This record gives sequence, C-alpha cells and structure tokens, in this order.
Amino acid sequence: MPMSLVQTVGQVFDSIQNVKAGASAFCTNFFPVQARVQTWIDHGELFSETRERAAFFVRTDRDFGHLYFCAADAPSLQSELTRMNGLDQRRLMADVVGQEAGVAPLLSSLEAAGFGRYSKLVRLARPNPPGASSAGGATSPEITMAGPGDALAILNLLEASFDPLADQLPTLYEIEDAIRASQILVIKREGELAAFLHFETQGMTSTVRYWVVAKAFQSQRLGGALIRHYFASHPAVRRFILWVTATNDNAVQKYQHYGYAPDGLVDHVLSK
Amino acid sequence: MKTVAEILKEIRPEFDFTASNDFMADGMLDSFDMVTLVATLDKNYGISIQGTDIIPENFKNLQTIEALLRQCGVSAG
Repeated sequence: MPMSLVQTVGQVFDSIQNVKAGASAFCTNFFPVQARVQTWIDHGELFSETRERAAFFVRTDRDFGHLYFCAADAPSLQSELTRMNGLDQRRLMADVVGQEAGVAPLLSSLEAAGFGRYSKLVRLARPNPPGASSAGGATSPEITMAGPGDALAILNLLEASFDPLADQLPTLYEIEDAIRASQILVIKREGELAAFLHFETQGMTSTVRYWVVAKAFQSQRLGGALIRHYFASHPAVRRFILWVTATNDNAVQKYQHYGYAPDGLVDHVLSK
Repeated sequence: MKTVAEILKEIRPEFDFTASNDFMADGMLDSFDMVTLVATLDKNYGISIQGTDIIPENFKNLQTIEALLRQCGVSAG
C-alpha cells in the first residue's frame, strides 16, 4: 500500500498499536506528542504507510521528509524499509536517539536498508539548583519578545545559519506559534533582527532550540546578553538542555562556557 | 539493590522525584530520558523491559514505574 495522507491522530496511534501487538522486540524512533501530530495533520504534512511488521510515517518539511518508524524488531525494520514505497521519491531523513551503545542495532538496520550517516548531535544539560547564580543575571533593555512581524526574518536567519536536513528547523507557522507562546527572545538594531534565542519550557526543564546572532552583528556580545537574560528569566527551571552538532566545536565550547555538559544522549541523523 | 527513586536521582540529580505525580508534565523526564531510564532499570534489576511497555503512562511517577517493574517480576521500593 502506498503512503497515504494521515487524517486523524487516532490513525497514528492505531498503527503503532498494531505493530506493538505482534512485536517481539519493538523498536521505534517515534515518540508522538498528540498536539504536535495534530498540527502536522492540520497542515497536511503527515503521511503513513502500514506494512505487516512495521509502520512508517513521513512528515514533509521543505523539499524532504522526516521518517519515523515503528517495527516489531530490528530485522523487520530493515526488511520492511527496503520494501517501503516512500513519498514522491523525496529525500528522507531519520533520527535515531539514545545512548551511543544502545542505538547500534537500529543504525545497522537503517544502513542495511540504504540509509547513510549524515550528522550527529549530542545533548547537553546545565543543572540549575535552587539558589544558583543565573550566569550573572544581567538583562538588557534591548531584549524583547519577538512579535508577529518578526517571523519571516527569524526563519530567514535560521535557514542561513543551520542545515534544514539535520537541525529540525521550524516552518514559518511553527515560528508564528512560538512567537504567540512567547518562546522567542530577540535583539534588534536599527530595525533589523540582530539576534534571537528560541526556547521551549516544560515544567522544570527548558530547551534552547536555536540561538543565533546574525553575521553583521557578531562580536557585539549579543549572544551572551540573550542567554544570560534567558537563564535569569527562568528561575524555577532546574535543568536547561539543548542539542548541538557533535562536530561543531565552537558551539560546543560556547555552551560549555555557560555551564552545559554532555548528558549521554546522542542523535544520529541518517539520510536516504 | 537500588530503589527506583535512587536510580532516578542518579539519572537526574537536580530533581526531587518523590515530589511529583507526573514526571513528564513537570519537565523532569522526557521521551529521550525514558530510553536512559529503561536501560538503567534493565541493568539494575536484571530484566528486559519490553518495547511495548515503553510508553509515557508507565513512567508517569514512582508508582507507575514500580507497577511496571512488578509486571516484570521485580519487587521494587
């Protein structure tokens, strides 16, 4: 059966349950959050293909797709992947997340099915015990929450700074949603977007999604001002986390400077 | 043998897991942390938690994790 447009969240969870029902060593890279899946469905971005021992989901993004899978076991994943019809022959990206030693079987299955390693991200965490100093705590009057008119400039700066295939960049509507949720701090200079920090907070954990200073405004300490403001404005958060490309030494060193350290999780990004 | 609370404290020392009834909603665990927790529980108790059981409902709080371990034949306090 070819890939078909997913119409309801129930379809997704039913497909996963069907695979689980016959599973001996269920494996997946799909941990769906209902609200997010519903948003993808509302935007006509989510497709599925159900096979005997596996279910595949593709979320379209720009000119490629993110592949999510559930399989009864790793050998089934490999064999069903090779038979998967896919979507419009578009390039597929698959993320495999876990501790390094634990993800090897899934990586082998994907590679045997024709996927190649594209990138690797590591997760960094920064504990924030009660009463801890908030990295200086200084804030700047230049820092404000992004407004609706900033969305396109934020998207353009993201796409100029990151790799859409590896870095899970948001779409324009996701940036607009984040702005409405007050999740993007910005600094503007002469009416131009100079820097921003996009974060998501859930209870006592907050994640930096993207932290960017435009090239023309680098070496002006805007990035430091943003992250200090971010820490200071989250006194109740006990753990700050983020994902960074493992080979991006400059970024890793910058995060380490602000107290982040690897927490053991890795994200292997594969491509086909 | 370590208790579930002790294991959680080792994985995420910054949180007091005894003070929460919903680790996910309170931001103390996410789906990725579950992967780490399962591996640690497997090793500590000499079990193999099935993939079908790795769902947020089973890792909501100490009681649900202990119930899952009981299903695996473990008596965990």
